[in-house]
Amino acid sequence: MCGIIGYTGFRDANKVLIDSLKRLEYRGYDSAGISVIHKKQQVYKQVGEIKALEKNLPDFKGTVGVGHTRWATHGGVTKENAHPHLSSNKKIAVVHNGIIENFSKLRENLIKKGYKFASQTDSEVIAHLIEDNYKDNLEKAVYSALKKVEGYYAIVVTSTDEPDKIVGARKDSPLVIGVGDNENFLGSDITAFLKYTKRVVFLNDGELCAVTNKDIKIFDENNKAVKRDEQVIKWDYKDAEKSGFSHFMLKEIFDQPDTVHHVIRGRVSEIDRAIQFNENVENLLSNGLDSIHIVACGTSYYAGLVGKYMLEKLTGIPVIVELASEYRYFGTRDENSLIIGVTQSGETLDTLAALKEAKNSGCRILVITNVIGSTATRLSDGYILTQSGPEIGVAATKTFTSQILVLCLIALKIGMLKNKIGADEVYKYILQLKELPRKVRQALDQSDEILKIANQLKNTQSVFFIGRGINYPLSLEGALKLKEISYLHAEGFAAGELKHGPFALLTKITPVVAIVTKDFTYEKLLANIGEVKARGPKVIAIADENDTEIEKHADFVIRFPSNSDIMSCIPIIVILQLLAYHVANLRGCSIDKPRNLAKSVTVE
Amino acid sequence: MKCVILAAGEGKRVHPLTFTRPKVMIPIGNKPILEWNLLNAIDAGIREFVFVVSYKSEMVRSYFGNGEKWNVKIEYVNQGEPLGTAHAISVVEKFVKDFIVLCGDTIFGKKDFKNIVKTKNSMGLAKVENAKEYGIIELDKENVVKIYEKMDEPFTNIINGGIYHFNSKIFNYIRKTKKSPRGEFEITDSINMMIKDTNLKGIFLKNWRDVVYPWHLLDANEEILKKIDKKIDGTVEKNTTIKGKVIIGKNSTIMNGSYIEGPVVIGENCKIGPNCYIRPYTSIGNDCHVGNACEVKNSIILNNSNVPHQNYVGDSIIGENCNLGAGSKVANLRLDKKNISVVLNGNKLNTNRRKLGVIMGDNVQTGINSMMNVGTIIGNNCFLGLGAIAKDEIKPYAMIL
Repeated sequence: MCGIIGYTGFRDANKVLIDSLKRLEYRGYDSAGISVIHKKQQVYKQVGEIKALEKNLPDFKGTVGVGHTRWATHGGVTKENAHPHLSSNKKIAVVHNGIIENFSKLRENLIKKGYKFASQTDSEVIAHLIEDNYKDNLEKAVYSALKKVEGYYAIVVTSTDEPDKIVGARKDSPLVIGVGDNENFLGSDITAFLKYTKRVVFLNDGELCAVTNKDIKIFDENNKAVKRDEQVIKWDYKDAEKSGFSHFMLKEIFDQPDTVHHVIRGRVSEIDRAIQFNENVENLLSNGLDSIHIVACGTSYYAGLVGKYMLEKLTGIPVIVELASEYRYFGTRDENSLIIGVTQSGETLDTLAALKEAKNSGCRILVITNVIGSTATRLSDGYILTQSGPEIGVAATKTFTSQILVLCLIALKIGMLKNKIGADEVYKYILQLKELPRKVRQALDQSDEILKIANQLKNTQSVFFIGRGINYPLSLEGALKLKEISYLHAEGFAAGELKHGPFALLTKITPVVAIVTKDFTYEKLLANIGEVKARGPKVIAIADENDTEIEKHADFVIRFPSNSDIMSCIPIIVILQLLAYHVANLRGCSIDKPRNLAKSVTVE
Repeated sequence: MKCVILAAGEGKRVHPLTFTRPKVMIPIGNKPILEWNLLNAIDAGIREFVFVVSYKSEMVRSYFGNGEKWNVKIEYVNQGEPLGTAHAISVVEKFVKDFIVLCGDTIFGKKDFKNIVKTKNSMGLAKVENAKEYGIIELDKENVVKIYEKMDEPFTNIINGGIYHFNSKIFNYIRKTKKSPRGEFEITDSINMMIKDTNLKGIFLKNWRDVVYPWHLLDANEEILKKIDKKIDGTVEKNTTIKGKVIIGKNSTIMNGSYIEGPVVIGENCKIGPNCYIRPYTSIGNDCHVGNACEVKNSIILNNSNVPHQNYVGDSIIGENCNLGAGSKVANLRLDKKNISVVLNGNKLNTNRRKLGVIMGDNVQTGINSMMNVGTIIGNNCFLGLGAIAKDEIKPYAMIL
């Protein structure tokens, strides 16, 4: 995820761009840059946060420009790789958010034509490609260039040949037009320019726009002009960073249709019926694996537990999930075992220490993380990015679902390599993956109903979460989320384990959240609910939308959209997150910064 | 010549009315403050306007549009963030040369506009009884020598009126202006620098009315209502009494038994009566209802609000979309007849008024027989329960049960 902005108007573009980038900093902050037109493209970039960019900002003249704040996905964090990127003739400046999948092919062709590349990014090809297609009109050149591009993007482009114009385009990445007076804006989201205007025009997927300080033209994917009315945004720039949500956590929960999409996009090919990773990762996965160790802490550990079910089901390889702080001292190290480290920040000290131990014993290390260039990626033999964008709420939400999905893709890949699952089955899973963003959205639509049910939990002392199979680690995560942010005592149990002890704690005033999927343990779980009910507590069931029986057994039911035996866990998690959020909010807790907790734990 | 009107401010001192609208959009005599300035400036011959907007700018824009309705041209520039008057003026640099600029929340008269337009390099001055709250002016004959910040013991009662005639040179001085102790870029600092190089003529304003606190709206309302002419467009039923200058808007009905003593303005689509008493200096907005056995005196009632059954509203301001329950009443005079104090934004202030009722934000509902003490400030979207007593300052969205 990156943040992009374009400005054309009467103010000093310099100031407007920096100002807007500060608002977009939540989308990425490893490097940033701007380019302002005054006769030529004046570019200034820095590694680090926007503050670093602002500090020695040259006094560029000009009232038209583009800006970018980066969260690296292709190419390391360097000044060269920071945006904006210029075309070879230095006339065209481009900022890009997204991934160009066929960039190496495009790059080769352009190099053959004599274009000179200055960075390792996928984004730079767009600049040269636009130059290659430029005749006399920037939006036409951008349109032709983007026809050759595969992948997803939001871009803003300026050219010194048409110095009052900014051109934007989007496909699967966000871009919004801000409508001002004698000025107009383009931005990754409304917050970028909310200080200057509340009037916006939304661009649809595949559309392109050409904007000057006076007018706005929009074209659809067939380059036909489109008319669209502006809308007025209701919220103020004070609550802007959260895009109008009351907490970062809620915003991040609602980000999940997009973040889920980002994990799948570029890795899952419906046409080839294949799962693709980069070379290092594919090597790690294809070599004879005897066993897999997943090493992680906190929520990432639970992602590992969910991943274990997927990996064992789809590959038949035994999987051991270990807490990093334990594995570090007590874990077994087998050279034929693949160690998968899961860490959102890539800096979790316990996980890093465990991975180092394993590496020293000759194990191969695969890392799943959200931060490129983090310590974990550097000590790994291969890494997979979750591409969720920065997560600001301390309680992990969108990165958790992304971690699980990455593990799911790994399981599918190994399953295919080992011939454990047939082509038809793989295709079935691929279709289910493609469906997921929509299913997540369906789960989010129930937020208001979940709020009503949260009222049942807000005044209790203790809550049980139960489930079987893959739903057991989901119960653990559901309980962890509730504990973290609402300060209620909550515990997750395997449903069959209740009778072996936990029943002793169960009283009338201990609500039980049961995760009920229609698999072969369905009847068993209904029996478990019966056992619970016999002791008096209220039961809240999270059940399949097609489950017609469950009302007879539970007091409250939240429905999840049915998808498949494996993938359904994602919408279920979203429901658990919303439940925890609403309970904490009703209790008036400090949701984004729970007491005693830190986002990235870099101490032992 | 272009006229720049500064209309970006929130006007925190006019809470609770400005929780839901920018200060310049507060109506007096059924027209926003900004419209009074626009109309007076048009009368003085100005046709081109630049509105500097920011806080809830969409409300200004949707009301005034491009100025077509007034046959003038209105452009907008968004200030972006509230960094002071000098910053607000700096954003119009690319749009003006020789121009006048005024604070949109102060109402200036037609003649004042004319005099300022006529005189290059000038600024408006006003004389007030108590100059403590204003910028103080030092004069040398007719030229301004220096503008001083607020003083505890001002040496004169001549103050800065907030209207200026500049040319583009002012922007050189604005660029050199540093942040003031209160953290804003003030145009008075820029002017003090400019005075050293150029003469700036002081022009005394004849009709000048500023609104600092919400109760000043009652004074401004009184002043504007004094000048109205009788005009009855609505329907007046039999057995009603209408005395003095009264304006009744289209589609409004004055029902049997109503007694109206002008000056009073009643907007469009209102239902007044039966059997009510509306006393002088009252402005009632559009789509309002004043019902049976109600008395309204020296008050401003904004659009779409109801004073429907057995209510007394005196020396008060009622926001938009409010509804008073049957028997809800407002106290407007202390029994000891002392001046009334209010609590506004947590500060206790003496209003220097003997009579002041309630200042009610938008979307407030009161229950039956609820009571509001003198000088009560009620935020927007509050509920008063049945028989509830409201006093002091009530925050927005509060429920008093």
